[in-house]
Amino acid sequence: MALYLIARIADETIALPATEIGSVVEVDQIAAVPRVPPHVAGLFALRSRVLTVIDTRASLELGAIDRTGEKTAVIVECESHSYALLVDEVEDVIEAGQPDSCPALLPASWRRAARGTIRRDEQAILLIDPATLVAGPEPLAA
Amino acid sequence: MDDLLTDFIAETRETLEALAGEIVAWEANPEDRARLDAIFRFVHTVKGSCGFLDLPRLQRLSHSAEDALAEVRSGARTPDAALVSAVLAIIDRIGELADALEANETLAEGEDEFLIAALARDAGSNIPVAEAAPIAKINVLPATPPTRAVSRSIRLPVELLDRMMAGVSDMVLARNELARLLRVAGTTSAVDVAFERLSLCVGEMRDSITRTRMSRIEGLFSALPRMVRDLSADLGKSVKLEVDGGDVELDREMIEMIRDPLTHIVRNALDHGIEKPEERCRAGKPEIGRLRIGARQSANQILIEVSDDGRGIDAERVVRKAITAGLVTAEQAAAMNWSGKLDLIFEPGLSTADSVTGVSGRGVGMDVVRANIERIGGTVDIESMPGQGLRLSLRVPLTLTIIPALTVSAGGTHFAIPRSAIDELVRPKGDQVRIERIGGEQVAFIRGVRLPVVDLGRFMGLTEDVLPALLVVLRAGGGERYALGVEAVHDHEELVVKPAAPALMASGVYAGTTLPDNSRPMLLLDVAGIAAVASIGLAQSVVEERPVERRKAEAALPTLLFRDLDGVTRGVRLALVERIEDVPTESVVESSGMQMLPLQGRLTKLYRAAALPATERLRVLRLSDGEAALAYAIEQVIDVVELRAELAPAPVAGPIAGVVLHDGAPIELLDPYWLFTSAILAPANDDSPLCLVADADDPWAREVLAPLLGAAGYRVRFAGEPTEGRISVIVTTGSAPHGVDAPVVRLRGTPDGAGDDSIYRYDRDGLLRALSQHVAGGK
Repeated sequence: MALYLIARIADETIALPATEIGSVVEVDQIAAVPRVPPHVAGLFALRSRVLTVIDTRASLELGAIDRTGEKTAVIVECESHSYALLVDEVEDVIEAGQPDSCPALLPASWRRAARGTIRRDEQAILLIDPATLVAGPEPLAA
Repeated sequence: MDDLLTDFIAETRETLEALAGEIVAWEANPEDRARLDAIFRFVHTVKGSCGFLDLPRLQRLSHSAEDALAEVRSGARTPDAALVSAVLAIIDRIGELADALEANETLAEGEDEFLIAALARDAGSNIPVAEAAPIAKINVLPATPPTRAVSRSIRLPVELLDRMMAGVSDMVLARNELARLLRVAGTTSAVDVAFERLSLCVGEMRDSITRTRMSRIEGLFSALPRMVRDLSADLGKSVKLEVDGGDVELDREMIEMIRDPLTHIVRNALDHGIEKPEERCRAGKPEIGRLRIGARQSANQILIEVSDDGRGIDAERVVRKAITAGLVTAEQAAAMNWSGKLDLIFEPGLSTADSVTGVSGRGVGMDVVRANIERIGGTVDIESMPGQGLRLSLRVPLTLTIIPALTVSAGGTHFAIPRSAIDELVRPKGDQVRIERIGGEQVAFIRGVRLPVVDLGRFMGLTEDVLPALLVVLRAGGGERYALGVEAVHDHEELVVKPAAPALMASGVYAGTTLPDNSRPMLLLDVAGIAAVASIGLAQSVVEERPVERRKAEAALPTLLFRDLDGVTRGVRLALVERIEDVPTESVVESSGMQMLPLQGRLTKLYRAAALPATERLRVLRLSDGEAALAYAIEQVIDVVELRAELAPAPVAGPIAGVVLHDGAPIELLDPYWLFTSAILAPANDDSPLCLVADADDPWAREVLAPLLGAAGYRVRFAGEPTEGRISVIVTTGSAPHGVDAPVVRLRGTPDGAGDDSIYRYDRDGLLRALSQHVAGGK
């Protein structure tokens, strides 16, 4: 059994492995950064740490999150940098068993980010790899 | 006890502790290569440090252990129990000596010899293993445990410092927040005083905690003069050390990581690079060798350069060594270029030294140097000019360094620029500093110097294409400069720069992130990166949008074509031409060897490619670089055309910058820079009037008169010398040479008139006036 954080991105309920999550914070005043890929929403200062804010919708190529006002973000560490993953909302922390494999027919945008599925009661929830959200959409093959 | 010694003792003790396990493991399995290497590196490092700390005992011990281990490493000797014991005994001895050093005690020296003798190859056969082993034991458990002095320095894990740093930064932010709240609430003076005190304490604490992480690179450099002095004395060489850039601040951890590599490099330079004085004399170099060590911040890196003027490294020799050592095959070597071959010196087990000395040359060193630098994310580059010297450049990242920066803004967003990259700050205003559009791109003219403009707002996609309010002139490295257009300049601040996320760094325009006291994250700009990205962007926009027309507009500059006085068609960039004027020829004034022209109430220097025409009116171009003005005499204006920006440069500096093609015909372009600097004295060229000086044997004529005439724009020949072309005028202090048909100017030795038309020989103006009258009259 392992702990999972259940959140919503682009009207989809997803799970993130709790071991990889630092905290959940409210983010406002994102400092925009020009000339970066669209999934990088900007920078945010969490006390004295500067976090890179990731628009998870843009990472999954499902549009963009409205970046004004206060947002919920999941803090993750990735290759010794800290990121704030913007999500629509955080629902719960649950305990669940080993993830199953992904469903065969998954939209392309989710397929790359999904590590498998976990079960909450009778509901199957996609388990998302935070690192793929940080990395953003794959560059188009030239 | 000085800091270096303290550091050495702490470091030796620490390594010994870490090595304890390795030693036991090696004893159990003497064939274990990795363990052997670790022990070898330890004694090697000790040897190196002892060399410049002047600890001969430790040096002798470590050197002999290193010798023995090197034999094992090269396969010349198989490690047996006796050797292992002997090496272990030496390592223990090193530990004891280090302890004794700290406690300021001395240990009996006699035992050293015994330990060193035990290392000898045949020692094992003479001393039974059973007897050799106790040597180690005796030293592991000394009869009287040495009393350690209480140390005043401690070593801390860097993570702890990081946590402290983050904590104090949070505290500063909390203080700022509190200050805001107190201002809003309106408080009594008692609260204000208390808050002030707290605020001061927090500030001081931040400074001292920041200092625990940062230190000036000086600390690293301060050991060098002594080391260079001692080493060069040992080696019988004279070396002058130049150290520069000690005030660059660097992460303490980084400095520690650089210390050993730098020591290695300096030793190598002294031992193998710089030659002995006799050899240097033979090679025609100054007897005293030069070693330069400098540090500076370059974009988001600290660059440390070590260069010497010694013999350099011959890449071919490195390759031969590498082939002999079996590191590369002859075929592989043949396919390598010079720098590839040179890079082989970073391979483990390769040394270019033919003999092993106590200083360096055992083939460890450069590989360790590179490994250490790469571990902290740096790079090592080597440049060798055989016979002339060697330069090693260490580049280490700037991360976690504090750098002074200028905060600017564009489109409402703040950015930081490292102050070290800033040349000056100017406001476009008037003629001195102005921005123009050439081919759709902004170009700044700052006191006559043209610089490309990168408008920060537009570059970042934050604003429309507007002319910027302020220009920050930046050095992009490699002598390249550009002007960054910004809306406003805010503050000079010391900023703690941290690495930005890879997605941000990939843009190539940021060097890191920083958090100023207002707790709004800010990005540090990569000055060189912006230059690179901006020019790429330019090239792309040319390709994307109407390629042909854009390119033409991009590359062509409006140019004024004219026929010069010497009949040649020349061009000058229209931007330089202020106006075209006709002036009376007689208004040209000769003054101190120059021709001047009164223009708009000011005397302006007149440049002419040939003698002035004998017409009443003279046509001149008034050229201006925004500050200085210059008149250029021409025959007539031909046209204004678009001429390509690239030109075939003239091989020598002169009034002609180079040649461009226009309608298939070459056009000489004037070099405004040369005109504004050098043309003031209108030096002689082949079209200048020829002046014959009759008194070939008179030293005054040669040494005083001839240079004066040359500076005034005449070609000077002495009587009896071959002359080409017509002689315009003859100058003499005595009689005119026979058979030359030219006007004669006579000089006399006294200021008082002699009743004839002669000119006093120090009446420079009179002489030049007379000459120009004759020359003009002769045409």
